[in-house]
Amino acid sequence: MMLRNLFAAEWLKLHKWPVAWALLASFLGLMSLSLGLWAMVVALHEGILGGVRISTLGEVQLDQIKRQLSFPGIFGAVLGQINGTGGLLAIFLAAGSLGGDYSWGTLRTLLARAPERGIYLLAKLLALLAGLLVAILISLVMGTLIALAASHWLGLPSHLTGRDLLVLPLGIGRALFVILPYLLATMACAAWGRSVLAGAGGGLLFLALDVGAGSLGSLGKVSDFTQLLVNLLLQPNINTLVVQNAQLFGLDQSVLASALDLGRLPSPLQATVVITVYCLLFAFGAWRWLVKRDVMGAQ
Amino acid sequence: MSSQSAIITDRLTKRYGERVVVDALSLEVAQGEVFGFLGPNGAGKTTTIAMLLGLVKPTAGRALVLGHDVATAPTTAAARVGAMIEAPAFYPYLNGYDNLRVLCRAGGLNEQRIAAALAVVELSERARDKVRVYSQGMKQRLAIAATLLPDPALIILDEPTNGLDPAGTAEIRALIRALAADGRTIFLCSHMLHEVEQVCERVAILKAGRLIAQGRVAELLHQRHGLRVRVEGDPAPAVALVSTLSWVAGVRRDGDVLLIDAPADRAAELNAHLARHGVLVAEIGAQGNSLEAFFLEVTGEP
Repeated sequence: MMLRNLFAAEWLKLHKWPVAWALLASFLGLMSLSLGLWAMVVALHEGILGGVRISTLGEVQLDQIKRQLSFPGIFGAVLGQINGTGGLLAIFLAAGSLGGDYSWGTLRTLLARAPERGIYLLAKLLALLAGLLVAILISLVMGTLIALAASHWLGLPSHLTGRDLLVLPLGIGRALFVILPYLLATMACAAWGRSVLAGAGGGLLFLALDVGAGSLGSLGKVSDFTQLLVNLLLQPNINTLVVQNAQLFGLDQSVLASALDLGRLPSPLQATVVITVYCLLFAFGAWRWLVKRDVMGAQ
Repeated sequence: MSSQSAIITDRLTKRYGERVVVDALSLEVAQGEVFGFLGPNGAGKTTTIAMLLGLVKPTAGRALVLGHDVATAPTTAAARVGAMIEAPAFYPYLNGYDNLRVLCRAGGLNEQRIAAALAVVELSERARDKVRVYSQGMKQRLAIAATLLPDPALIILDEPTNGLDPAGTAEIRALIRALAADGRTIFLCSHMLHEVEQVCERVAILKAGRLIAQGRVAELLHQRHGLRVRVEGDPAPAVALVSTLSWVAGVRRDGDVLLIDAPADRAAELNAHLARHGVLVAEIGAQGNSLEAFFLEVTGEP
């Protein structure tokens, strides 16, 4: 009952928060820009844009871009964007949501009304995930519109089957799961530093370290042991699930990202286990710092 | 300890390292009374309130709120408590009404109570304005409205008149009386000692985390009596003269003023005694008999 009440309170705050809508608008803008640029590249290759023809990409790469701009590949492209720039926006969202309660002093008002802090944290996480789910659905709708326009303009073949729609929830769920460690790391940092700044700073630092650690992937070539160690980092495991999501909709990410060595990525099972362990660690940190410490005035 | 008590604290203690913020505080607030909780800045008042609300965990001792142990049954204890802690805290991007909706939803309260709560603090017309454009006084009123949402049996108000003009302060005073008349317990923490004296039946005074005085306002003030005399010229001879009177229990100097421990109704007699011995009295009267004077005396504040 308290979880439902707190979720309702968090949802009210979240969907009326202008920053959340601004973040969504920014993401949609970036996604549209990215897909629009791909469409321009195809148009230039096909000589559709004012008769100008530029051929810098190979047939395989061009085919991959065309797949991303048509059905069902557009779904994989949108979910890929969500797991790219979307993670960054999720960090700001989580930092503002939990850190804001500390910074504005509203945390003590809420906890004086509903004192179960663990449930408060869970309700906030669920509200953030629900908000991200709505954002993903809006992004998919926008992606669909872009795919319709691009297919029409560029004359791309589109084949949307019942199977594509059936696997869409799996793709969405996987995209949310990939964002989850970033959300929880940010919440842990916000609870630790009791502010928006600590949440955003910590989340961004984690993202930077994680992406930086991804560049250690080449160390995996040294030996099987170093490969094992590298694959315990978060980034290769995230890559596994992102690649899986792309494949779900007929895309091959290694064609456009030459540094991505699919053969060296962890298995989907390992990826799921490793990401879950990271999530549990971050969730424990957030819980520990929120529940075990005193809550006083605005920070 | 009575089961009818709204608040009971039993040797409630909070330490941060070596620093003792609240030191073995034992209080009992009866249901239906208006109780003043006083102390200088940093005395531990807000920490005590935070412990009553489960926001701060006591180092030792325990607190019962409306008969429920805050440590073991925080949700039950909070169910019928309305609390305003220090400065009002709201979401600046939401309007006043939506801020109260958030609190209603969080506490599982009926949102239909919002309109009545806003009406009580006369904020209905501005309820749809964003809180970021509210004045401090309006935020203060909204915070009081928030305390009314759970139909509280106990209302904890920490500095409720901060930022209010004299008219607003008088309205809050009237509101506190009206809420108390409904049978609600009010736990009022304020620096406005004049206000506390007017609305509270009993007070407790905290200094450096320790309880230094507690009791009914009238009884505390009754303990304090005496005369205040300022004489022309050197006060030393006057001190000697006053000390010879049998009904004077003591006398001390505060600059050129004599503070005399004696019944206030013997002022004329004292004046005549000094005049007979050539000491001219410039001013004579009863020592201040207000809660403020009492507070300053017991806390040693300047």
